[in-house]
Amino acid sequence: MTTVHADIGQPPRLARAIRTPEGERFLNGIAGTRVRQNGCAAAAYAALYANVDVVTAYPIRPYTAIMMNLAQFIADGILDAEYIHADGEHSQFSAAFGAGSCGARAYTGSSGVGVTYGYEMYSIISGARIPIQMAIADRTLDPPGDFGSEHTDALCTRDMGWLMGWAATPQEVFDKSLLAYAIGEDPRVLLPQMVVQDGYFVSHIAGEVEMPPAELVDDFLPPYQLPFPLNPMRPVSHGAQIHPEQGPPLQLERARAMEDAIGVIRAKTDEFGRVFGRTYPHFVESYRLEDAEIAIVISGGHAVTCRAAVRRLRERGVKIGMARLLWVRPFPGDDLREALRGVKAVGVVETNLGLGGASYGGILSLDVTTALYHQAGERPLVTSFMAGLGGETVPMAEFDWMAGKLGQAIERGRVEKAAHWVGFEEAVLASGGRPPQTPPMEAR
Amino acid sequence: MTFEVIRQQLPLFEEDGRAAATDDERGRDLHYLPDLPEEDPYAAGHRTCAGCGPAIQYRWVLKAAGQDTVVAGPTGCMYVANSTYLCTPYTVPWAHTPIASGGSFTSGVAAGYEAMIRKGRYPGPYPNIVVMAGDGSAADIGIGSISGALYRNHDALFVCYDNECYANTGIQTSPTTPYAGMTTFTPFGKAIPEGKKLPPKNLAKMMAEGHPHCYVATTTVGYPVDLMNKTRKGLNHVGAAFLHCYTPCQKGWVYQTSMTVELGRRVVESGLWPVWEYDPQERTYRYFHPPVQRPVTDYLAMQGRFGHMLPEHVAVTQVGANRNWETIGMEVPRVLRDLEDPARHQRLADEEYSMPINRGVGA
Repeated sequence: MTTVHADIGQPPRLARAIRTPEGERFLNGIAGTRVRQNGCAAAAYAALYANVDVVTAYPIRPYTAIMMNLAQFIADGILDAEYIHADGEHSQFSAAFGAGSCGARAYTGSSGVGVTYGYEMYSIISGARIPIQMAIADRTLDPPGDFGSEHTDALCTRDMGWLMGWAATPQEVFDKSLLAYAIGEDPRVLLPQMVVQDGYFVSHIAGEVEMPPAELVDDFLPPYQLPFPLNPMRPVSHGAQIHPEQGPPLQLERARAMEDAIGVIRAKTDEFGRVFGRTYPHFVESYRLEDAEIAIVISGGHAVTCRAAVRRLRERGVKIGMARLLWVRPFPGDDLREALRGVKAVGVVETNLGLGGASYGGILSLDVTTALYHQAGERPLVTSFMAGLGGETVPMAEFDWMAGKLGQAIERGRVEKAAHWVGFEEAVLASGGRPPQTPPMEAR
Repeated sequence: MTFEVIRQQLPLFEEDGRAAATDDERGRDLHYLPDLPEEDPYAAGHRTCAGCGPAIQYRWVLKAAGQDTVVAGPTGCMYVANSTYLCTPYTVPWAHTPIASGGSFTSGVAAGYEAMIRKGRYPGPYPNIVVMAGDGSAADIGIGSISGALYRNHDALFVCYDNECYANTGIQTSPTTPYAGMTTFTPFGKAIPEGKKLPPKNLAKMMAEGHPHCYVATTTVGYPVDLMNKTRKGLNHVGAAFLHCYTPCQKGWVYQTSMTVELGRRVVESGLWPVWEYDPQERTYRYFHPPVQRPVTDYLAMQGRFGHMLPEHVAVTQVGANRNWETIGMEVPRVLRDLEDPARHQRLADEEYSMPINRGVGA
């Protein structure tokens, strides 16, 4: 799918950005080592390897540490980049947009209400097809103030045309940041990317991250070449006013770019595995799903606990598995259906809030349910579990409880509710209070 | 090792007697500008209104900046009227930005070029980077982003084309709409006879006082050489520069379309728009002293948006003008001081020397 309307010929090729001598020395020094670092540091190291040209920052916990790391790289002369202290997230994303529009590789990020403060920019940046990258370390939206992780901040923006995926470990943050640049900057895609990690669970807990030789990254991630930069040598106009009838084709193109990203994600993920030796599934991590009757669909850092819970339940003879979504946009319907083939009941862990939606609980189950609805033949039962809200952990016992609910659903041939508020139902009943009422779902 | 960032230096135009051209015949001749560049990076073929002040300003600014320029334009009338998809009046790269992003988007462009040149990605000299934001963008919703950009001192020129209203959306009040200026959000009526009750923000002073390391200047479309030279001084200044330009809006102000440039001089001559330059080295203001001083009625009576003003409102405006004269270090003549008294005025509509006033609503 071509993304350029007028034939403006070959754009000026921009050379690869040089690194500073300090940067070369630093990267040579760490190449091949395994560094203990948290998700924020991993994101900053990925931006350093990507040799970003412009960093735009505005403080908000917990993603701030990414920008602190980058500021230090620049102060130490390890990274040569312009560092913009923006006056708010709206400006922060606008500045990254401006930098990306003239051909510079731009890096930005945010958390929680910072993500929503800059909301205007999401559609504008993806519609302009400027593939900047934004790191998000999840944080619960106000009110009241809460530092804890909840996926609602990023998921609010899910339909704005950005590639979006969660990383569950610092290593994955590092890898996904490089991968996302490579996918987003691919001329078949040209879409901005959100590399999301759970606040604190990933952003502030250290894991080992393998530091590759810089040359490998340079090979994997060629210099950013926007086909239509704001360049006086080849003038173009960006974002001219349109008439209503000119809208649909532009929207269709953006939608197709998102669809086309699916193939590019597959190809680049495979290439990443070949280059760096770490292979990832394209879209969905299938864990113990081969003969599973019930499955948890999950995204982000809570998958680590979920895996352990699945292991333990398997030891007790429960036929359970886990499907972890590595990308939420584009949503991997085919891969999810494939992963869940033969599963009888699916529970979506919703670490987010979708107030008043069809699931009466979270956001993710809407996509999961739609994807499964389009399955030929028998469809699994689907329910969702509101868990880990406000930054709460999702302990093993809660996964056990979820497995119980899914088992019951199979026995009864129907799910009890569209959404379960995990940890509330029994406790609230015991205290004589009113449990959250969600409409029962008819058996399919 | 980094690559050197080479900055452009644009020569200034001969100013003697031209920037400060008077209202007489000789002064007007000095506005013919045979030595100005032929190139028009803002080409003909856009859809601005007849007599559009911002269009004149756009043309002069981009003429002064030249072809090696990147332009950004936040949402405003000059976005909607200029750019039409698949058709563009710009022969230089131009990008639309959200209305609040004039300062921030341009910061990104400036930072992008700094980094790309330094890191060997971009072979050319540092381009002239210009953003032209309306008063709604620069003085209202996007003031924070422009202030941020000036504070960070990006090497770019931030222009506010000030038509004293949100014109594109149908003439709503902005923070620079003058006292008693009628807009569709400040209509006049029995309860509020003056229309707009608030005095305007002093945007340029705010920018100069608040960002003392920046080159800041005001000008109007009445003084083309001044406008172009200030554009070039702003671009030559290494760091951020802010230019506040008075640009009449025929649609919003309701005046005869041929009077745009005339208004650009009368607003200065009536003391309502001090023209000045702020020198960040000396940290001083250099005020332009117009050779002619007029009562504010000479200016107000040309425009339908003021046609409803009562004597007491006109007097308030004259008081403001007189304080401006004092600020810029000019004597307030006795006759103007006397005009601070409402008893000396009549309804503006009855001013015998006024131009025909169109009493239709602005939009």
